Amino acid sequence: MRRLFLSLALPAALFSVLTGCYRMRPSNGGGETKSISQERRVNPADVLLPPGYTIEAVARDFTFPSAVVFDAQNRLHVLESGYSYGEVWTEPKLIRIDNNGTRTVVATGTRNGPWSGVTYHDGNFYVAEGGTLEGGKILRIAPNGTITPMVDKLPTMGDHHTNGPVVRDGYVYFGLGTATNSGVVGTDNYEYGWLKREPRFHDIPCQDVVLSGLNFDTPNVLQDSSTRASTGAFSPYNTTSYPGQIIKGSLPCSGAIMRIAVTGGKLELVAWGIRNPFGMAFSNDGRLYVTENNYDVRGSRPVWGSGDVLWEIKEGMWYGWPDFSAGRPIRDEEEFKPPGKDPLKPLLRQYPNEPPKPAAILGVHSSSNGFDFSRSAAFGFEGEAFVAQFGDMAPKVGKVMAPVGYKIVRVDVQNGIIKDFVVNKGKRNGPASWLNSGGLERPVAARFDASGNTLYVVDFGVMRMSEKGPEPKPNSGVIWKITRK
Amino acid sequence: MNIYMRIVTLGVVLLIWGLVVAGCAGRRSEPIRKEYFKPANASIANGEKMYMAYCQKCHPGGEAGLGPSINANPAPQFIKRFQMRHGLGVMPGFKRDEISKEDLRDISRYSKAWKHY
Repeated sequence: MRRLFLSLALPAALFSVLTGCYRMRPSNGGGETKSISQERRVNPADVLLPPGYTIEAVARDFTFPSAVVFDAQNRLHVLESGYSYGEVWTEPKLIRIDNNGTRTVVATGTRNGPWSGVTYHDGNFYVAEGGTLEGGKILRIAPNGTITPMVDKLPTMGDHHTNGPVVRDGYVYFGLGTATNSGVVGTDNYEYGWLKREPRFHDIPCQDVVLSGLNFDTPNVLQDSSTRASTGAFSPYNTTSYPGQIIKGSLPCSGAIMRIAVTGGKLELVAWGIRNPFGMAFSNDGRLYVTENNYDVRGSRPVWGSGDVLWEIKEGMWYGWPDFSAGRPIRDEEEFKPPGKDPLKPLLRQYPNEPPKPAAILGVHSSSNGFDFSRSAAFGFEGEAFVAQFGDMAPKVGKVMAPVGYKIVRVDVQNGIIKDFVVNKGKRNGPASWLNSGGLERPVAARFDASGNTLYVVDFGVMRMSEKGPEPKPNSGVIWKITRK
Repeated sequence: MNIYMRIVTLGVVLLIWGLVVAGCAGRRSEPIRKEYFKPANASIANGEKMYMAYCQKCHPGGEAGLGPSINANPAPQFIKRFQMRHGLGVMPGFKRDEISKEDLRDISRYSKAWKHY
């Protein structure tokens, strides 16, 4: 009996104790490295792919690259963002890379990045301008570099920006991220930098919502930190809400997919309730999918254990932000309650609809971003999504036990199965700067060229996470090219 | 200390070591293994789907992420099933209306197959 007890209960007890010490363990994110001063090494031999595939670095030394696109002649164009978390602004640029490696700047933007995505349609480029300082825009860029805003003053001066775009059936589709982590302006937004610039900025619902009336108490960072501020959902900082309060919906709004005709016209709402719809692509059978960067463990209403999501978008649907994660309610759920904190309470009294089931749930804090669908039998995995994972920004977004992301995964959208496709060599997963190798750093987008036979990966470059926040390293971005042998 | 207690002590030390390294080892993926993973039967295939719906977000590919590595965890499957059902530490438990008994067993079979692939 004693032996039975020792052989069963002891391992169980130890397992319990050791897995229960999460709160005692330090965070171990991929950006939590010492200061990085040396030049970035680039070595394809440090990158692993499944059998039959090969990778090479085709261009490097970009500053905060965010996307690639191909014109009618299948020429590679690289988008430099012009902004990075960490409040670093540079000039956004669209750069053509000729076959001989020559770089030509097609267009240069203003200090209102990030230029977070680009697509090519019928002779023009379409760019999503993030809008950190002036509000978001959708830009049409002619091949001669002439920039024409199709939409401007989008409400994306907060945590998340204007994303996409993709063009389909005469419409430009794009995403607008939310102002905040989970619906409430707080001290985290002050640390991000925007609350100082935009003290009245907050989330805007796309339709009327009825609030539960929760308010969140913080030090008043806009005045004297010895005083307190109380802030409600969908409200400016230090503005309270009350039970039953109706917040009027309007367009444009936060956390939404919107569209506008290529020829111009009124904005139309496609879907909403998506925290940060970053990546966007149509599947081979014409369905729209987006990646959602999900909740962080920060601010007045931190949410724990919230995986990024790949959604199939259905018109008119609400996807659950700020009271659901990946289709599951966060209310009173142990799964989403930060360790040591009280269970989460809902911000809304009623919901427009039951959120749908995700196509796939990706790693918590993986920052699953730009993606594309394989449409080529020659490349393989036809119909599957190839998703770039930027990697965690721990500890600012929450604690992790090991680096999350920093790779390309492929997702079968029929069954939600996720498999690694491109990873760094090493005993552990992580960015090259963390592994001290010449592999991937922070993949931010994946896109097939016009033939569909080559997958390009946009590697944003080195971004260290310090006590002060993100420290992005200029001129460390790389474009990788993957082909099947 | 008699021989039996020594064996138990050694076992406990090895278990602690195993659990400590569990947070930093156990990479399993097709690029690493240079071989595609194919579920051997319908139970493992279902387990893979269920794993993706409930476990992948914290243990991507069975590796450490928000939570510790499962691949490198030497605990027997019945303890892992117990933890999935009842939760331990910060890990939430999943009730029968979320993960059925059959699905829980399939996840366990998939996890074992993945660990040894």
